[in-house]
Amino acid sequence: MNKLLLRYTLYILPLPVVFISLVLGPAVSARQLFDWFVEWSLRRPPDEAVNRDLLRAVLWDVRLPRVLLTLLVGGALAAAGNSLQALFRNPLVSPYILGLSAGAAFGAALAVTIPWLPVQLAAFVFALLAVALSYYLARTNKTVSTVSLILSGVIVSGIFTALLTIVQFLTDPFKLQTIVQWTMGNLHNASWDKLQSAALGIAVGVIWLFLFRWRMNVLAMGDDETRAVGLNPEHQRLLVLIPATLAASAAIAVAGVIGLLGLAIPHMVRMMLGPDNRYTLPASFTFGGAFLLIVDTCSRSVAQFEIPVGVFTTLLGGPFFIFLLKKARIGWEA
Amino acid sequence: MGSVETALDIQGLSFGYGDRPILTDVSVQIPAGKLTVLLGRNGSGKSTLLRLLAGLLPVKHGRITLMGHDMHRLSAAEKARIIGFMPQQHRAVFPFAVEDVVLTGRAGHVRLLPRREDMEKALQALEQVGISHLQGRPFTELSGGEQQMVMIARVLAQEPQIVMLDEPTSHLDFINQARLLTLIRQLVSTPLTVLVVLHDPNSAFLYGDHFIFLKNGRIELLESGESPWDRCVLERIYDTPMHTLPYGDRAIVVPQDPAGR
Repeated sequence: MNKLLLRYTLYILPLPVVFISLVLGPAVSARQLFDWFVEWSLRRPPDEAVNRDLLRAVLWDVRLPRVLLTLLVGGALAAAGNSLQALFRNPLVSPYILGLSAGAAFGAALAVTIPWLPVQLAAFVFALLAVALSYYLARTNKTVSTVSLILSGVIVSGIFTALLTIVQFLTDPFKLQTIVQWTMGNLHNASWDKLQSAALGIAVGVIWLFLFRWRMNVLAMGDDETRAVGLNPEHQRLLVLIPATLAASAAIAVAGVIGLLGLAIPHMVRMMLGPDNRYTLPASFTFGGAFLLIVDTCSRSVAQFEIPVGVFTTLLGGPFFIFLLKKARIGWEA
Repeated sequence: MGSVETALDIQGLSFGYGDRPILTDVSVQIPAGKLTVLLGRNGSGKSTLLRLLAGLLPVKHGRITLMGHDMHRLSAAEKARIIGFMPQQHRAVFPFAVEDVVLTGRAGHVRLLPRREDMEKALQALEQVGISHLQGRPFTELSGGEQQMVMIARVLAQEPQIVMLDEPTSHLDFINQARLLTLIRQLVSTPLTVLVVLHDPNSAFLYGDHFIFLKNGRIELLESGESPWDRCVLERIYDTPMHTLPYGDRAIVVPQDPAGR
């Protein structure tokens, strides 16, 4: 019963976080918003001292798209991480570790310099290429060990980061600044346009993953165990890998590289709910979104300047990864 | 066509990796409703034969008829409703609850999400194996014997007509081996056809009905008048001098030690 309560708490967690995030921040205070809300709901005559256009602009044009985008990006990365962990039977993988992020980053940077190339498409294609490379490099004798998958992910990440550097080197200074800002993982230039460009890929990917969430339980049993119950593990892996890559690359194309969120969130969710993907997948989405929103709200309201949110998550996620690796039960055996 | 006596009819089955043959021209019948044991030395092709029959390896040469159906024509899902296969040892990564492990046995019957009756089938399977008390426990925290019981429940939840087990006892201690084999023996009366690979001819003779010997990828047939537990048969299969001690109407087998005692 306790678990049930926890599950639903995770599902609805984004609601209060969205609310808090909307009212926090410079330029418009929570007090002003509250007064505005009271005024509007009681149909009081407008107070001349309050600039309602500013309020509306800050709330509607600045904060709301950013809040929604953050929610979607965090949710997509965590849901993709959860799915990748189940399908590779490897609790240490994530979009970042498998090279998916680096591939998507390279694709998106390429699209910045080549005008006719759609950013979302380029990010998706190179992200898929990167994961496929990591997987096939790690595969020996039809098995993929936990550690070799991580190592090949490191190599693939390195290759795509190097390619990204070449793109940066060849591009003009104005575009370079865009690319550098964006690779750090940033949500501060969120807009309705950006939200729109990412929403389709994320929505299709996450809904697809949601439908296939129980299949992930079957896949997590292993290849022979999957084949024995009548499913082809190779096909099933693709059916999960494609939507996971779609969701994560769409998020990365719009928000840049937000490191290790996709690793840490599914772990925290599993610690709370157990490993059943029927529950961890939706909870990873909502908790990942809420978590990134909390981090982003802090990063824009704590200091005078904005720390790129990707830097934040990597600083938090790095120690977490080391903790998982050191914990005896994960990793080194085969 | 739908012969009731024969669950599996194998004709001229050959298999190999590259130039290395593993199985050569295997033709054999597996009787329905019986416990058939595949015996042979390491590398004799037992596990490969089982994996071919279970559809885990592609059949290139030869024909397998499965409960009267040509196996070639069956889809993976159709095959999974006839054959339940249990791999040697399940290595779990995530600490799934026992009931969720067993529930994955229903994948051949489920579209995307299991329904209530699938969960009921999973719970029935746990009860049939006698491990209902383990239902909510994390699989990774169970003993090796309990884990094998759970995997058998998973195969039963699949509701197959034929169950194939690849060395189910190889990682178990003495008592758990006996428990597991007793359980497998009981399955045959439910009625199921069971085909199992075992290392130990003694457990095979204690629990099995029908025996198939493999040697260097070929079926080793008995000559008329020979019993599977005859000394000369076992010496032929295992290339080792043996002692046999009569045990009821069968025998216990012990390899002679090098000193020839």
